[in-house]
Amino acid sequence: MSDENKGYISTIQLYSTKDGPGIRSTVFFMGCNLKCKWCSNPELLTPDIKYMHFEHKCIHCGACVEIASNHSITFAEKGCRIDRQMCSNLAECAEICPQNAYEKIGFEISSEELVHKIMRDKEFYSVSNGGVTFSGGDSILQGDFIIDVAQRLHAQGIHIALDTAGNICWEKMKAIIENVDMVLYDIKAYAGEIHKICTAVDNTLILSNIKHISKMNKDIIIRMIIVPGFNDDMDDVYQRIVFIKSLGSSVKRVDILEYHNFGSGKYARLGIENPIQQVICNNYSLLEKVKKMACELGLNAAILQ
Amino acid sequence: MKPFLDFVPQMNDIDLKRIARMQKKMEKRQASICSERALLITESFQSTEGEDYVLRKAKAFAHILKHMSIYIENDSLIFGNQANCNFAAPIFPEYSINWIIDELDEFHQRSGDVFQISEKVKKDLSGIASYWRNNTHQDEVFRNTPETIVLSEKQGVLHRGGISMSGDGHIVPKHELILEKGFRAIIRDAQQKLNETIDHEAQIFYQSVIITLEGALVYIKRFSQLAYQMAEGEKDEKRKAELWKIGKMCETLMERPVQNFYEGCEVCYLVHVLQMLESNGHSFCYGRFDQYMIDLYHSDIQNGILTKEKALEIITHMFLMNSSHNKVRPYGHTKFSQGYPLYSNLMIGGRKPDGADGSNELSYLCIEAMNLTSMAEPNFSMRYNQDTPADLLKLAAKLIRTGCGMPSMFNDEVAVRGLMDLGIPKEDALDYCAIGCVETGVPGKYGHRATGMTYVNWGKVLELVLNNGKDPNSGIQLISLNGRNDNEINYESYDEVWDGWEKLLKYYSDLAVECDAICDRSLAKHDASPFASCFIDNCMELGKTLKNGGCKYDVISQSNIGPCVVGNSLAAIKKLIFDEQKITWEQLLSAINNNWQGREASYIHKLVKNAPKFGNDDDYVDYIVKDVFDSYLRLLPAYKTERMGRGPEISCYTMSTSNITSYVPNGLDVGSTPDGRTAKSPLNEGCSPTQGTDMRGPTAVINSVAKLPNSKVAAGQLLNMRFSSGSLAGDENLNKFVNFLQACILKGIYHNQFNVVDSKTLLDAKEHPENYTDLIVRVAGYCAQFVALMPEAQNAIIARTENEWCM
Ligand code: SF4
Ligand code: SF4
Repeated sequence: MSDENKGYISTIQLYSTKDGPGIRSTVFFMGCNLKCKWCSNPELLTPDIKYMHFEHKCIHCGACVEIASNHSITFAEKGCRIDRQMCSNLAECAEICPQNAYEKIGFEISSEELVHKIMRDKEFYSVSNGGVTFSGGDSILQGDFIIDVAQRLHAQGIHIALDTAGNICWEKMKAIIENVDMVLYDIKAYAGEIHKICTAVDNTLILSNIKHISKMNKDIIIRMIIVPGFNDDMDDVYQRIVFIKSLGSSVKRVDILEYHNFGSGKYARLGIENPIQQVICNNYSLLEKVKKMACELGLNAAILQ
Repeated sequence: MKPFLDFVPQMNDIDLKRIARMQKKMEKRQASICSERALLITESFQSTEGEDYVLRKAKAFAHILKHMSIYIENDSLIFGNQANCNFAAPIFPEYSINWIIDELDEFHQRSGDVFQISEKVKKDLSGIASYWRNNTHQDEVFRNTPETIVLSEKQGVLHRGGISMSGDGHIVPKHELILEKGFRAIIRDAQQKLNETIDHEAQIFYQSVIITLEGALVYIKRFSQLAYQMAEGEKDEKRKAELWKIGKMCETLMERPVQNFYEGCEVCYLVHVLQMLESNGHSFCYGRFDQYMIDLYHSDIQNGILTKEKALEIITHMFLMNSSHNKVRPYGHTKFSQGYPLYSNLMIGGRKPDGADGSNELSYLCIEAMNLTSMAEPNFSMRYNQDTPADLLKLAAKLIRTGCGMPSMFNDEVAVRGLMDLGIPKEDALDYCAIGCVETGVPGKYGHRATGMTYVNWGKVLELVLNNGKDPNSGIQLISLNGRNDNEINYESYDEVWDGWEKLLKYYSDLAVECDAICDRSLAKHDASPFASCFIDNCMELGKTLKNGGCKYDVISQSNIGPCVVGNSLAAIKKLIFDEQKITWEQLLSAINNNWQGREASYIHKLVKNAPKFGNDDDYVDYIVKDVFDSYLRLLPAYKTERMGRGPEISCYTMSTSNITSYVPNGLDVGSTPDGRTAKSPLNEGCSPTQGTDMRGPTAVINSVAKLPNSKVAAGQLLNMRFSSGSLAGDENLNKFVNFLQACILKGIYHNQFNVVDSKTLLDAKEHPENYTDLIVRVAGYCAQFVALMPEAQNAIIARTENEWCM
């Protein structure tokens, strides 16, 4: 792989303990080809640099308003209103703000540099049998890059997990899977229509990819998020579980994830509309029921909060 | 609440209800002041005028022990008191008297560390004041202190804590020796040596040892009588039997070697109380309790006279009784050490002198006992290394998870290397223990405070670098960097700034060493402690008290506060002014002088805040912080202690960042700093990142700290971290935390302590103290009840970055 191989990431979350075994570093890659209504990382949906605006930090000093091109920034009741179409110098506006009310999301990084950063925590991985997890967004859209990174990390004995929604062609997917040790795989719906409504894409590839993966002798953890009112149809949930069961013994665990709204504030900060306007309450008895269903079929299931 | 972390009692030999009663009593205790000791020492001194001072102190000690009130707590198996009631503080007029009289009417009105005081006690103390005035340790220090030191204190650079007006403390006796011999055998040794020596100092010393030990034996026998009396009136059969047992035990206790585990615990506790009564210090420590008690424990268990359950009960009583003691400090000092701390460290785990890991059954029981105790004392610490059993670490992690902040964890590999670098032989270095908070030393062989001589406010030194040596607050200038007498200075390069730092650091460190020496010379007389000395090598061989050169290892250090604020500031200056030339020196200074207020100042504030900060694994700044440490370490070889060449086998200075709560009041003296810190806010604590500037989680903090010369900070490198309670919940998270601890060993971290409590809880505790009397937090090398702290210290703890373990 050439030195020009660059990746686009937002952050490296150190000491991540929920994305696979042991103490891990999770790399958040930019860009995703799904569009889940409940997505809690809207800043990662596209692979470009973005600026979040934190209105609570703004003191209306006026500095950004003065220099913004085309009068694209104006005072709102709280914070500023940014016309992102009109504004051509948002980076400058962010830089001039004395309050750190703008935060830049996303940067380019070389595989060498990323590996270097990840390796800084190597002692923590080694004592805990941890490692690194590629997450996002969906890192598989930067396939060449993550394969390069994975190979460099493997050369140093680091365990690699891939957290993915799995929506690319099998040929590309296969090349990636061959370079990781563990797969955390999202299954958001079984029926194609439900999947399409919730994520804007069909799930044919997703379901067939995981079938292939299950034959590759990699540890798999299936992640099943349940969002009330979106993908909580019990028949479909049952079919998901039956499907997961059919994948066989590579599936080590099924994590049932509850919905959380930690990401809801991000939409406003990015100036995009939140597809979920209503308040969603988790139905814990439903989650328990799903868990029971999975366990009855002989799966190892856990609810993750 | 679940009483045990892991322990499963096999028999009904531990009275948990009684422990709960004692615990509640300690939790709700009220501090007060007791005048008995003050009156008795005055009486004794009046009758020994003209005699040798050491002898007078010995006689006074015996006099006090003979006449002071004694009591046995209702429920307790352990006894021994230093004042007339639970949590009362005795007074030591021989060390200092003026502040006591000045504050008589204020003790009960303080905003933290309040003391009740009765009218009678006020009268008692006023009555003896004139006898001591001008004759105390403090007076002598005062007389010998040159103007420059006084001025540097006014600037807020130097601060003399206890050493200028109180005893030195920081003593770990040789417990093995005490248990094996008893006082009587040591008296016989002293007698024999007295007969043989012709040296005047030695004669006085041995006489004093005999007098103090005899006094201690009298004190013990008084408990025998008291216990018998109490037994007579006792209705409860079980308690009656216990009191009889105490009565019987005290007839011969310390007349001969210790007979069993119960006696051993009682003796360790008594020696602790007696040391505190003798000399007005703190940090009298238990040392490696699980190591020296294990033989007694095993033999009792084998002989069938002790159960595991009973052992746990006895240890817990002993731990709990440590909360019955108290020490009163001047209000000004209280700010530096809040929460009524005594820093009575008790340590478990770690390697033995032969290098093998010494963890044993008592290590586990002590963790369980500390869980039952859930008070701030004893200050509970644990040594660990690559061979420490994982289940012991896990048990410790469970105790940490309760949020009590203990045990604080010491890395054997780093601490041992540090002591060996000072020239201490390997087997002694391997036997180290914590003394007080984070400072380490060899039990039974160290004679002085490893840390906490003079406090040097590095934040202030940095402020002086920006101001050409002239303090903007007081207007005092002791040294000028460019030869002019104002505070204007323009640096052309980072190297010039750095030279300014080194120059001022040397100036004030030299001054601090002079300051230490002045105090030490006075302590040699006023803090002569024959009782404590006779349990420390080589006092008995040399016929010298500790303070006059009797100790084997004489390693001391000051306490340096704010290294990360200094490093972060220098990094911001280097990056923004010199590397990137984004701002000018004038812009920075004017923003600082405006405390970051105003449009331009606040923009500059943002830039400096965004500059690299220590604690995020960023080499740029981490290595500057390391430079700051190194700049001080380079000065040390030139510094000599007062006792060099006068007895100790090793005499030297080392470094420590153990700074108790002083990072808060020291911060009050310092204006805004180039790292973006606002005026008056706290400096950083120990070597921990400045509050709120470590943004990348616990591993990044460890990676940053790992770059520092940790083993060279041989008197203790303090790292305090805070985790939210949720991040340790469940078995999986706990295991990961244990892994985290193990990684800290690999990374060469000296010490690590944890606060586990969420900020919401802390904020609520600040609002509703009455609901949180049980909340213990790690302050800085020790624990305290959160509600006993002053508001500024509470805020600093809340601000300390909360490490989340995941998104
Ligand atoms: S520069 Fe920052 S603080 Fe000032 S108006 Fe713009 S967003 Fe608000
Ligand atoms: S797959 Fe993940 S990152 Fe992509 S849209 Fe869905 S929730 Fe967001």
